[in-house]
Amino acid sequence: MPDFKPPIVQVDQVHKYFKRGGERLDVLSGLSLNVQEGEFVALMGPSGSGKTTLLNLIAGLDTPSEGTIRIGDQVISSMSETQLAKWRTRNIGFVFQFYHLLPVLTAFENVELPMLLLPLSAAQRKQQALNALQLVGLEHRMQHRPGQLSGGQQQRVGIARAIVTDPTLIVADEPTGDLDAKSAVEILDLLCEIRRTLNKTIVLVTHDPRAADRADRILHLEKGKLVSETT
Amino acid sequence: MKLLLMMLKNVRRNLIRTILTAIGTMILVLVITGIWSVLEFLDNATSEKSQNIKGIVTERWQIPSQMPMSYARPLEDYSWQGPDNLMTWQFYGGTTDPAKRTFDSVFFAIALEPRKIHTMMDELDTLPPAEKQNLVDIAEKMTLKREGVVVGPGRLKLLKKQVGDRFKVTSFNYRGIDLEFEIVGTFPEGRYDLSAAMNRDYLNDAMDAWTKKAGKPHPMARKTLNLVWFKFPDATVFNDAADKIMNGPDFKEVPVKLETASSGIANFLEAYRDLLWGMRWLLCPAILVTLSMVVANAISISVRERRQELAVMKVLGFVPRQILILVLGEALLLGIFCGGISSSGAYYLVNKVFGGIPFPIAFFGAFKISTHALWWGPAIGATTAFLGSVVPAWSARTVKVSEVFSKVA
Ligand SMILES: Nc1ncnc2c1ncn2[C@@H]1O[C@H](COP(=O)(O)OP(=O)(O)OP(=O)(O)O)[C@@H](O)[C@H]1O
Ligand SMILES: [Mg+2]
Repeated sequence: MPDFKPPIVQVDQVHKYFKRGGERLDVLSGLSLNVQEGEFVALMGPSGSGKTTLLNLIAGLDTPSEGTIRIGDQVISSMSETQLAKWRTRNIGFVFQFYHLLPVLTAFENVELPMLLLPLSAAQRKQQALNALQLVGLEHRMQHRPGQLSGGQQQRVGIARAIVTDPTLIVADEPTGDLDAKSAVEILDLLCEIRRTLNKTIVLVTHDPRAADRADRILHLEKGKLVSETT
Repeated sequence: MKLLLMMLKNVRRNLIRTILTAIGTMILVLVITGIWSVLEFLDNATSEKSQNIKGIVTERWQIPSQMPMSYARPLEDYSWQGPDNLMTWQFYGGTTDPAKRTFDSVFFAIALEPRKIHTMMDELDTLPPAEKQNLVDIAEKMTLKREGVVVGPGRLKLLKKQVGDRFKVTSFNYRGIDLEFEIVGTFPEGRYDLSAAMNRDYLNDAMDAWTKKAGKPHPMARKTLNLVWFKFPDATVFNDAADKIMNGPDFKEVPVKLETASSGIANFLEAYRDLLWGMRWLLCPAILVTLSMVVANAISISVRERRQELAVMKVLGFVPRQILILVLGEALLLGIFCGGISSSGAYYLVNKVFGGIPFPIAFFGAFKISTHALWWGPAIGATTAFLGSVVPAWSARTVKVSEVFSKVA
């Protein structure tokens, strides 16, 4: 059955360049890309090919120099910084390579953090944070600080933080890049399960072919252009 | 709010740095609080008023002023609405322990008419009714029992005596006029903490008795009136009285002058002008700048350390304004807290435990920390914290997410 729903991510003719001391560095050149709702897409490519840059654009952390980006029914490429920040809270769950949990907060508080920006009661926040921690299997460690958790556990807290606001899209930049093989598998299993049970759309940047194998589609990026696609 | 909790946690993050900053803040706030208390007190004491003026008559050419007690009667003629607005002061000093003469055993009393204590003495004449009644009762006792004295709580402690105790004093300034006293009450805490007051009749009668017994006047007999206080309703009445007293025929034995209490104090302070100017315009600003720099240093280090964390918060959707508030809030929290602790601690310690800052200048022996210090502390803390953290907070606000992570990823 063909799917007639419009894609949830629409990247259209996007250029991104950085100015460095008068010199212009073209990182993305006329890139277009669609992702369907509930799809799991992996982005691969050599270092410096623009994967992170593209992911940042999709996640609304930066704006394209040219072209439009539409997520759901919103054109995010024309939003202001403040508009983008508000939009991100509700629509994007970001998973980092180095977890980036706040060291002074407990696991629970780290997961609760993005919900402080939403109009939720303390009880609602608590319930949602507990749910998310349960989903990643860390409810028994919720009073621990990041320093007391292993890398794999920290990354699971990071994933809980990414899904707790029930975002439209989960983006992950090399989420297994800093983990040993066993933990990496666990994290990938977790991402797949989240995608299945919660029907989330995931865009994943990775250098690891085994990670990419889990995706529905692998996009290869080179010098700011999509060069091939494997399904 | 939760953001407040986060600020608290961030403040706790680098405990050593926070504690060092806190100690620095507290010490500097303490110094400023002390200096400002002294300056504020002196400013109040020397500001000329146009209504309810207090005047002092003293010997014109000599310090210390020693006038004959016989001046008291004619001076009453120049007092506005009669003798009620005039108070004579005779100083009586001695020791309770002539063998040792330690500092603790010094007893110094102002001899006056007992009822003037609550009608004429600075600050005591404006007490709330409840506290005033206590002094009225004490004055009553001193009138009936002429050896009665009222003593400040601090002095009482030094003398190791309590209300009801009797003690003998061997005089320094009136040789041979040794008196026995009974303590009938205490001054309220504050300005008269270390002072004492006695009935002037007790002293003057003792002087007369000495004269009768010796068959010749006491060597100090015509030198016992040290100063006379007046209350005037306004400057016109004051100036008129000043003219008459200066040119009057009654005060030939030693010439006298009438000046306002504030200008008397101001004249005295002339000698300290440079010191006070330096304290106000050099020392205080220098301390405030130093304090801001201490805060700026600590906060900018902590912002630099946390660039990534702040960027993560931005990724999660915190807007620049919230980041700014977070960083400013941390500094303000620390500043207000330390400033408050420091000034209220100083207020309590200096006023209640030590009984004032010893800064002997003019007639004032020790200075109390001003009640205003209770808000100066937090205010200084907040202002310097704000000045010190506004630049680092602004740079935190403008952290660019994509740039911070392009360096890691
Ligand atoms: N904020 C920025 N300012 C200037 N240049 C940047 C910035 N961000 C990225 N670049 C440059 O853009 C290019 C692409 O960077 P990007 O981080 O997207 O690559 P990547 O594909 O994610 O590489 P890696 O696999 O190493 O993470 C690089 O040459 C990088 O130096
Ligand atoms: Mg990258």
